[in-house]
Amino acid sequence: MMGIFNRGNRNNGAPNAPSPTPPNPKKDLQTPQISPLEKRLQDMGSIREDGSDKFFGMENYGNTCYCNSILQCLYYSVPFREAVINYPQRTPVESIEAALAKNLRYQNPNAHLEAEALAAKQKAAAPSSRQAGVPPNQPQKPEDKDSPEYKKKVALQTLPILETKNNASSYGMSESLFTSLKDIFESLVGSQSRIGIIRPQQFLDVLRREHEMFRTAMHQDAHEFLNLLLNEVVSNVEAEATKQSFAEKTLPSASADSLGITGSPGSKSPNTTRWVHELFEGTLTSETKCLTCEKVSQRDEVFLDLSVDLEQHSSVTSCLRKFSAEEMLCERNKFHCDNCGGLQEAEKRMKIKRLPRVLALHLKRFKYTEDLQRLQKLFHRVVYPYHLRLFNTTDDAEDPDRLYELYAVVVHIGGGPYHGHYVAIIKTEDRGWLLFDDELVEPVDKNYVRNFFGDRPGLACAYVLFYQETTLEAVLREQANEDRASSAAAAEASAQVNGSLTHVHSVPVDDSHRPIPLSKITTAPGQMPVHLEVPEADPMPPLQPVQPPEVPPLPPIPNEQPPSLSPKKSDAQIRKEKVREEKEQRAAQKAAEKAAEKAAKDERENKEKMERIQRRELDQQRQAQMKQEAADLERALKASKESSKAETADIGPENGSPRDSSRFSIFRRSSRSLSSSLSNRLSKDKEPRVSTSTAETTPAPVLEVPAQEEERVRPPVPAKDASDLSSSYKSTFTQPFPPAVPEKHDPYFNHSNTHLPPLSTSPTAKHISHVNHLNSPNGNGNGNSNGGSNGSTDKSGVGHTHRWRSFSFKKSAAS
Amino acid sequence: MFVLPPPPPRYTIPVAYAAGAANGMAVPVVETNNTISHPDGGCPLQVGEGTYTLKDDLLLATPPPHPSEAPIINPNPLATPPTFLKGAVSAPQFGDGNPALAQPAPPAKDALKRRKPKNNIIKSSSSFVSRVITHETSAKRLSDRDPNGTFAFANINRAFQWLDITSASKEEHLTKVLFTKAHMLCHDINELTKTSSHLDIVMGSSAGDIIWYEPLSQKYARINKNGVINNSPVTHIKWLPGSENLFMASHANGVLVVYDKEKEDALFTAENTGIPERDPSQYPLEILKSVNSRNQKTNPISSWKLASQKISHFSFSPDQRHLAIVMEDGSLRLMDYLKEEVLDIFRSYYGGLICSCWSPDGKYIVTGGQDDLVTIWSFPERKIVARCQGHNSWVSSVAFDPWRCDQKTYRFGSVGDDCRLLLWDFSVGMLHRPRAHHQNSTRQRTSVVAPSSQSIRHRADSWGNRMRSDSERTENTYDDVEPLTSHPVEPRSRTALLPPIMSKVVGEDPICWLGFQKDCIMTSSLEGHIRTWNRPNDSVVKS
Repeated sequence: MMGIFNRGNRNNGAPNAPSPTPPNPKKDLQTPQISPLEKRLQDMGSIREDGSDKFFGMENYGNTCYCNSILQCLYYSVPFREAVINYPQRTPVESIEAALAKNLRYQNPNAHLEAEALAAKQKAAAPSSRQAGVPPNQPQKPEDKDSPEYKKKVALQTLPILETKNNASSYGMSESLFTSLKDIFESLVGSQSRIGIIRPQQFLDVLRREHEMFRTAMHQDAHEFLNLLLNEVVSNVEAEATKQSFAEKTLPSASADSLGITGSPGSKSPNTTRWVHELFEGTLTSETKCLTCEKVSQRDEVFLDLSVDLEQHSSVTSCLRKFSAEEMLCERNKFHCDNCGGLQEAEKRMKIKRLPRVLALHLKRFKYTEDLQRLQKLFHRVVYPYHLRLFNTTDDAEDPDRLYELYAVVVHIGGGPYHGHYVAIIKTEDRGWLLFDDELVEPVDKNYVRNFFGDRPGLACAYVLFYQETTLEAVLREQANEDRASSAAAAEASAQVNGSLTHVHSVPVDDSHRPIPLSKITTAPGQMPVHLEVPEADPMPPLQPVQPPEVPPLPPIPNEQPPSLSPKKSDAQIRKEKVREEKEQRAAQKAAEKAAEKAAKDERENKEKMERIQRRELDQQRQAQMKQEAADLERALKASKESSKAETADIGPENGSPRDSSRFSIFRRSSRSLSSSLSNRLSKDKEPRVSTSTAETTPAPVLEVPAQEEERVRPPVPAKDASDLSSSYKSTFTQPFPPAVPEKHDPYFNHSNTHLPPLSTSPTAKHISHVNHLNSPNGNGNGNSNGGSNGSTDKSGVGHTHRWRSFSFKKSAAS
Repeated sequence: MFVLPPPPPRYTIPVAYAAGAANGMAVPVVETNNTISHPDGGCPLQVGEGTYTLKDDLLLATPPPHPSEAPIINPNPLATPPTFLKGAVSAPQFGDGNPALAQPAPPAKDALKRRKPKNNIIKSSSSFVSRVITHETSAKRLSDRDPNGTFAFANINRAFQWLDITSASKEEHLTKVLFTKAHMLCHDINELTKTSSHLDIVMGSSAGDIIWYEPLSQKYARINKNGVINNSPVTHIKWLPGSENLFMASHANGVLVVYDKEKEDALFTAENTGIPERDPSQYPLEILKSVNSRNQKTNPISSWKLASQKISHFSFSPDQRHLAIVMEDGSLRLMDYLKEEVLDIFRSYYGGLICSCWSPDGKYIVTGGQDDLVTIWSFPERKIVARCQGHNSWVSSVAFDPWRCDQKTYRFGSVGDDCRLLLWDFSVGMLHRPRAHHQNSTRQRTSVVAPSSQSIRHRADSWGNRMRSDSERTENTYDDVEPLTSHPVEPRSRTALLPPIMSKVVGEDPICWLGFQKDCIMTSSLEGHIRTWNRPNDSVVKS
C-alpha cells in the first residue's frame, strides 16, 4: 500500500519528492495545504462506479462513534457494500446523482482559514457543542493543529458535506435500518467528490426510532451495534422479501449470481435475501461425547460473529482455539445422554463447520468483576496477525484451511466500557490502511495496526477484528506489488542523502515496514485519547524528526520540504567520483583477474550445475511423491465420503446437508427442533459466546421454557423482538447503579467468564447459568441437560446478547 | 442518569514498554540497578531426562528515558545469542574467488593481536552514546574472573549491558552503555576472534547504524554511519561464520547487507540496476551489490534485497554455506549465500515468521511465527516436516539443544509472547500424519496413522553424495534459470502435528530469547528477566 502511495508520489513528481527546487508550486497561500489523505489519493483517475474510491468521514452527533466506526468497516467490505447497493436492485446512477445534487454541499475550502479566527472566539464563548463526550474544560489551543479535534473541525468546515435522505421508496421498500444504510452507501458511491463528510443523521434517526437503547447520547457498544445492525439488515431484507413474495412478485435478482449461493429447497425466502448470511454467517457444531456410551451428539448453529474470551499474553489464534477447547461436563453439569438415558459425564467441544466469508471477531475486553461490581476493561495483550486461518474447524468442514486477511479493526479507546471512543482502522482496496476517526480520515502505516494489541499506552485496544477471506495468491500478488513499488521508491530515494543527524532518527523514506516506527508510536495512539476524560496535551515527540513527505504518519506533516537538502549536490559528485574510480579500478584489475577468474568460474559453474540438477531432481521426486499422496488422499476421501453418506442417511435428514435451512424452514419444522433447541439453549455452555443467539440477556426475569414457547409462537420478526427488548432495556437503563449496571450491560455481564453467585439485588437473566442447572436436573426430559456448565468451569464464558434467537437456532439437529 | 463510576485501575504498565511518560506516570530518573532473585519453589521444568531447576532470575534494569527524547519502544530489547564453538567445517569464505576481497596476509608476529576499533567509547562525543557507566571494580573483577567463565551481553531499551554471568555478583554489570536516539536491537560476538583480551561485538540499531565495539578496551567504531548504506533499522546481525571481519545485517526494509568492520562507509547506490521489472516469485533476490563486485574498497561488501517486508531473523547453517531467512511476509527463504541465490521459499501457515534455527547437523530448520506454530522443515528434502502446536501466542525464539540431539532425535525449545517455554522432542521415526480426512469424524475415534516419514531416512546425508550423483544433464538449457522452488502452504490435514514434551509459563512478560548452554537453559524476557535453569544432574551427554 505504501508502494502505491509512493508511486503516486513519483507520478506527481515535484510537489512531494524532496527536490532541490524549494518553491513548491502547490504551496500557494491561497490554496489550503494538501491533507495526507489527499496526498494518498492523488492519481486516482476518474471516479469509479463501485464506490471503492470514496473516503468520507462521518459526523459524530455526540457519542455516535460506535456507529461511525462500524459503518465504515462495513462499507469497506467489498462484498457487503456491493450487496447493499445491489439489493433489491441497483439504483440508476442518474437518480442517485439527482438526489445527491441536493445533498452534497461543497464548502469553501478556505473556510477554516477564515473560521480560525472565529473559532478562537467561539471557543472562548462556548465549548464545542458537537462533542458531547468531550469535557468542556479541555484546554485546547487553537494553534494545536495536530490534535484530532482541530483537524475534525477543519474537516467539517472545509470538506464537502453529504447529507443522506430517505430514499426507501425508490427501492420499493419501506423505510428501515437497511434502507437508510443503503442510502448512506449509495450516496457515497454516487458522490462526485472522493473525500468529504457524510452525515448519517437519517440512519441514526431510524436506529433511534426503532431501538430505544440507542436514544440516549450515551456511549454504546460497537460490537453490540454491529450485531444489531446485521440482524436488522437480515430481518428488513427478509421481511421485505416475504412481503413481495406474498404479492407474487418476482424479485429482480441482480445480486443472485454473486450472492445467492445456496439453493435451499423448500425455503420460502428467495436466495437473494441470503447475502448477509453468505457473508458473515458461519456454522458452529457442538460435539458432545458421552463418556459412558461414547456416543457423540452433534448440534449445529449459526453465528454472525464470534465473541472470544481473552487471556493475558495470548493471540487471537489461541483465543479461538480456547473457544473450541474440549470441556468436561461433569458434576453438576452432567450431560443428559439420550442413548444411555440419564445424566452422564461428557466431553464437549465447539468447532466451526462452515467458515464465514467475513469473520467478525469480537474480543471480549469488557469483563464483569465481582470486586468492583461492574464491568472492567481488560488491557490484556492480545496479538492479532494480518492473516489468519482457523484451527478449530471440524474435520468435514469445507475449505478448512481458508486464509483470512485482516481488513478492519475497531479500536476502543478508554479506560472502561461506559465511556471512551471508537475509531476504525481499515485496509482499503488500493489505498492502504486508513484511520477513520469520525470526521477525520487519515492514511496510516501498515504497522499502525499493531498499536492496539492492548499493551501500549493510550488505553486503545482492538475490540472488533474483521477478517475477510482471501487466497495465498492474492496475498503474494499484493506483496509483490509492494516489493516492486518499494524498490522503485528506494531507487528514487537512493539519491537522497542522510547527511544530517536528525535524519538518522527520522522515519526512513521508503520504509513502509519498519517494525515499529518510533515517532509514530509515541504520537499516534497517544493522540486519540483527547476524547477521554484524561485530557492530554498532544504528545508530540520532543525530537521532531525531519519527516519525509511520503510517509504519512499520523500527525500529518505540513507540506514542507525537509530542510537539509544541501548535501544533495555533493552526493551527485560523490557518485560520479565513485563511478570513475570504479572504472579505473576495473580496467586495472581486469587483465590480471581474467585468467584466474575464468578457471575459478568454470569450476564453480560445474559444481553449481551439478548441485542444481540434484536439487531439481529431488524436487521433482518430491513433487511426484506429493502428487501420489494427493491422489491417495483423494481416493480415501471419496471412500470416506461415500461411507459417510450412507451414514448420514441413517442419521436422518437434519444432519444432512448443512445449508438446507433458512430461517423460515426452521420455523416450519420447529416443533421438534425448538424443543430440542430449548434444551440446547439451556445446555449451551459455550454457545452464548456466539453472539447471534438470543434470549439469555433479555431482561426477562428468568429464562425458562415459556419464553421459548412464546418465541416460537411469535411471528419471526426480530425487529419487534428487539424493540421489545430495548424498551425493557430502557426500564432498567434509567435505574441508578449498582443494580442497573449489570442489567443494562447484560451482554457485557455475560462476558465474564467467572461464575457469578446469585446477587440478591437483581434476580435477572445474568443468573442463567444458575437457572440452567437448577432446571436441568429437574425437568427438561427431552434435552441434554448439561446446562449451566458455566457454573463449574471457568473457561466457559457466557456470551453475548442473544436477542435474535431465531438465527441462532436455524438448525438444531440432535442425533 | 447514573453517575459514571470512576474508571477502573489501569493494569500496571511495564516500564519496559516505556509507557510511563505517555501516561503521565512518574518516570524514574535515576539509573536503576539490576536485581537478582531466587524465586521460591523455582519454576521447575520437568521432562523425561529429569527436572531443570530455576537457578536464578536476573532482572536487568530498564534505564530511564533520555531526558531529551520520548521513550522509544524497543521491539527486541534483549537479544543475547548463545555462543557455541563449532567443529571444524570447511567451506569457502564468503567472497572467495573475488580478488578484490582477498585479505592481505596478517603479519605473523601479530597473529594474536587483534586490531581494535579507533574511538574510545567512554570519551566519546558521539551523539548516539549518552553515557557509559563502568562498574567501579570492573577492572579488578575482570582480572580475577574465571577465564572459562561466560560473559553475557544484553540490550534492554536504550541500555547495552556487559555482564559476567559466572561471577558471584552477576547482577552487577561490568559496563553499561546508554544510547540515545538510536537503540540497539541486536548484537553478535565474533566467535573466531574472541580471546581473553579481545571481543569483537557488532550491534545493530533502530536507526540502521551499526557499532563495532570492543568491550575490553572500550573502543568502538561506527559502520553504516547515519544510515549511509541502509537507513532502516537493523533487525538481526551476525558475524559470517569463519570470518574475522565480515558480518551480515538484516534491515527492516528487506535488505541483507554484508559489511566489513575494517572498511569505510561510502554512499551506496545499487550497482545492478538496469534489471527489468521482474517477477519476484521467479527472482526472489535483487542483488544490489554482489560480493563478486570489483568495487570492494568500501562497505558494503554485498547487498541483497529480498522483499520490501521486514526480515525478522536469519541464521547460518552449520555447514556455513546456507542461510535461512524468515520474514514478516511469512516466508522462509533458504539461500546459498556463497552463490547469492535463493533455493527455496516456504510459507508459514499464516502470518509473519519471527525466528529460525538450524539443527546441529544442518538437516532441519525450525521456525516460529505469528501462527503460534513452531514449524520443522527438512532442508535436504525441501519440505515441511511437522507443525508443532502448543504456544498460545506468537513464537519469538527457537533453539536446538545440541547437547540433547543425536542422529535420530532432536531436542529443541521455543519461547513466545505467551510467556511460555516449550520443549520439543522430535525424531524422524515418530512423526505421524494428523488425522486424515474422514467425514464422520465424530464416530471414528482412532485416527488414521500414516507414517509419512519413510523418505526422511534416506536423506541426502552428505554434500559429497550429492556431488557424486549423475550429471548427464549438464547441458541443461535452463542453466541461467534459478533452481528456485516456491512451495505452497501444506493443508493442515496433510501435515504432521507435534505436541510439546513440556510447556511452562516461566514469567509474566513475553519471553524473547532462548538459549541452551552446556549446563543450563537460559531465557530472557521483554522486561529484562534473564532466567537460568540448571540441567538435571548427569543428564548432559557430551556431543
